[in-house]
Amino acid sequence: MITERPAIEPIQTDFRLKFATDEQLDMLQEATLRILEEVGVKFPSEKTLRIFSEHGAHVDKDTQIVKIPRQLVMKALSTVPRYFKLGARDPACDLQLQENVTYFCSDGCGVETIDFETRQRRPSCKEDVGKMAHIADYLSAMSFSWPMVSAQDYGTTAPLHEMDASWNNTVKHVQSETIMGEKPCQYAVEMAKVLTGSAEELRRRPVFSLTVCTIAPLVQDKEGIEGALVLAEAGVPVGFLAMPTLGTTAPATLPGAYVVGDAEIISAIVLMQLAHPGAPVFHSMMHAWADPRSGNYISYSQNSGGRYIVVDMAHHWNIPSFGGAYGTDSPVAGNWQSAAEVALDPFLIGLAGAEFVTGMGLSNTYTLLYPESIILDADIYHRARYQLMRQDISPETLALEVIAAVGPGGHFLAQKHTRQHMRASLKPAINHEVGPDGKYRDPVEAARDKVAWIIKNYQPEPLEEAKRKELIRILSAADRELGGGRK
Amino acid sequence: MTEPSPTPPLQPIVPAYHVRILSDEQLAQFKSATLEILEETGIHCPSEKAREIYASHGAKVNQETQIVRIPPDVVLKSMSSAPRFYTMGARSLEHDIHLDGKALYCATDGCGVETIDFVTRQRRTSCKEDIAKMARVSDYLPSVGFYWPIVSAQDHPTVAPLHELDASWNNTVKHVQTETVMDEKMAEYSVEMATVIAGNKDDLRKRPPLSSLICTIAPLAQDRDGMEAALVLAREGIPVGFMSMANTGSTGPVTIAGLLAAADAEIVAALVLLQMAYPGTPVYHSMMPGIMNPRTGAYMSTAWEIDIAYAIGVELAHMWGVPTLAAVFGPDAQSPGWQSAGEVGSGLLLNALCGAETGSGMGLLESCTVLYPEELILASDIYHRVRITAGGLDTSRTAMALDVIKEIGPRGNFLRHRHTRDHMRRLRFSELTFQAASNGDFRDPVQLAREKVDWILYNHHPQPLDNQQRTELEQILASAEKKFGTI
Repeated sequence: MITERPAIEPIQTDFRLKFATDEQLDMLQEATLRILEEVGVKFPSEKTLRIFSEHGAHVDKDTQIVKIPRQLVMKALSTVPRYFKLGARDPACDLQLQENVTYFCSDGCGVETIDFETRQRRPSCKEDVGKMAHIADYLSAMSFSWPMVSAQDYGTTAPLHEMDASWNNTVKHVQSETIMGEKPCQYAVEMAKVLTGSAEELRRRPVFSLTVCTIAPLVQDKEGIEGALVLAEAGVPVGFLAMPTLGTTAPATLPGAYVVGDAEIISAIVLMQLAHPGAPVFHSMMHAWADPRSGNYISYSQNSGGRYIVVDMAHHWNIPSFGGAYGTDSPVAGNWQSAAEVALDPFLIGLAGAEFVTGMGLSNTYTLLYPESIILDADIYHRARYQLMRQDISPETLALEVIAAVGPGGHFLAQKHTRQHMRASLKPAINHEVGPDGKYRDPVEAARDKVAWIIKNYQPEPLEEAKRKELIRILSAADRELGGGRK
Repeated sequence: MTEPSPTPPLQPIVPAYHVRILSDEQLAQFKSATLEILEETGIHCPSEKAREIYASHGAKVNQETQIVRIPPDVVLKSMSSAPRFYTMGARSLEHDIHLDGKALYCATDGCGVETIDFVTRQRRTSCKEDIAKMARVSDYLPSVGFYWPIVSAQDHPTVAPLHELDASWNNTVKHVQTETVMDEKMAEYSVEMATVIAGNKDDLRKRPPLSSLICTIAPLAQDRDGMEAALVLAREGIPVGFMSMANTGSTGPVTIAGLLAAADAEIVAALVLLQMAYPGTPVYHSMMPGIMNPRTGAYMSTAWEIDIAYAIGVELAHMWGVPTLAAVFGPDAQSPGWQSAGEVGSGLLLNALCGAETGSGMGLLESCTVLYPEELILASDIYHRVRITAGGLDTSRTAMALDVIKEIGPRGNFLRHRHTRDHMRRLRFSELTFQAASNGDFRDPVQLAREKVDWILYNHHPQPLDNQQRTELEQILASAEKKFGTI
């Protein structure tokens, strides 16, 4: 029996919440502009320093610090497209970024996996990436896919192998967060062109995109930023993700951390627009806290709202927001902490109106893959999706005639209206699977079974043989040139 | 004798943001639906006393069928006397709850029937001592704004509701809300007990230390004893609310809009009765419908589809000009873990953002039936996540830290800066997560919650009732037991 791929179900809502007032957003923006103008950002890349210099930024070649006048920032940002399309192998899965719709994907770049069969903890590998892309392809909560773990069995070309494993197992858009450097990015563009057929089609419907991390405070990574320029030139969407940590790499106050991260992101986006005006870009920030007792990285304090003011900040710049949700600090999946920390995330980020969002499915602060986590996180996602869904209030749903027919003390079971609407009244959540004893099953166990069921019963649409071989050919060339390949 | 320990101030959720789910037009549709149901279909009212009141105020009463139909003008006139805001008094003045539409106060859940024993951890029938212990734990927690006797005093079957009040007032200075006082005589005794706590009838009316929740019967029916108890309490100015627990497809229409329309009519009919009898008496509206599991018929309070109905209930209450008791927490989970956390956080936040004044449901599992003492601590942690998240952002000059960022510059670190030291302590972290174990790992939050219960019970002893009050409560209990038949 062929199991069909369920349609993508993004969060669609008419509700919108701004977590900061316009006045507060103006203050935050003004602070970023002052940092860019007065403190500057370090760009350890001659190529980028040259671009900035040619466009009138103040470049100190010794310190590699670039100070950008506000007029230049605003001029560069004026060419940022507010919305763009994320292409997919199957055009039916193309995602058009738009108002009031939020698309989610998995988390990525985990380094360890709880093995699908043995349940032993081990380093992650390319096969894990493929299996999780396979699962993401099936899940309606997943609008697109991040390679969930690192293909550590492929050394320096792991990021390209992650793309290969993803494209072979999902027809949805794939976003990388690991392709770093000019050469790897050129190979990635070559691989993407195999899927789209041409450079023009890649620009029109980019089948992949990239998130590049900045370095806090106020520094860019040479490989990251030079790779980003390659993709921007090809019309592949590139986003910049700042991860300031309160108290170590950022001030210990949230707005202070926001403006440090924002300055990093905006400086990179300005560079992309100076080099390739109109290139699709996005803004992303996931701050964290330093545990005052140990210095440990904590991604969940008790203030989740702070995570989503950054969505308002991106929109205040008129740039699409790539939100960060999920990513529990719990070392174990499926326990109280892993739900308590993330339970507000999809709801809040849907309300904030981020255009797209990462990252379901990893534990231990984005590092450890329990395959069942993606099912559990998707369950929490759907709860939020329903909470934010516009209600249908109409004569048919108000059912006044049915209420009158049943009257006080009656029951609705035998009503035709009940039969007609019953199937749509309840989508079975993972919490409500009934076991053979008639009792509800343990949802974590049910989630594990669901992973196994998807792998066994669902087969994603395979890549055409010619394309598959072409990807292998490009990968072999990359392995040879960059020194990667199967260990 | 142990020295009394101070009860920490309440920490309600004061949202900086608000969400509106229904448009004005949709609210008008609901109002019109309720008025139509009450006028044309009516309510089954088995209390003769209540029917007399309805009849004498213009409702059409059929004494044979006991159906009461209420014309729209009568409904609207009656509801116009209901107060929008009032005070829920407490034993201590500083723990009074002033409903003002700006804050959400939460209570424990109530009327559970089984307890996981505090010492043996065995599941057993609930008893009065459990109520006393959990009142003491609740007294300590700033998240608990008022107390519902959390389980049933099944060791005092004849007048269990009165023993539940006795155990509560002897162990917390906070407001107590009962959901089990369900007949006229029991209500008279509880008024007597509340008068002892308040000191006199005037103060009972000004700062009632007791309120009551009465369930209606879906569809469109009232419980005779419940309504007669409500009339006794309303006579004394004790706040009374009505909750509908209609279920999709069985006791209510299967569509959410129809379910809410029928449930709202039940609630409003009861509120109208109290306003007819005692205009201006404090009342509240409480909507807690469920989704019927189509395979088993079970009531599901945490299905994805139902959270939005609870939040719409908040908006319906406000449309009628009365405060609400929102359905929050109350997971279907069978033990503390992923499900108990995943089911509740975003629903609480949604209700807070809709402006709910009160909510109940912390501390029980298995659909509000089983007390795990540590669940109240776990729920409290989630409560604070929501509270802090909903609380807004400080964008003062100090919080923006521009001077600090300039001083540190690119590539620096903020650890040693005085601003970091000053603000690090103000960051809010969970007391349950990131607690280091001796081996360097983090401790299990559920185990920590258990220990916290033990710690509170050992260390927290709220201001006791004075001897005279305690003795008077005992005398009233003795008299009630004599009346109802001691076992």
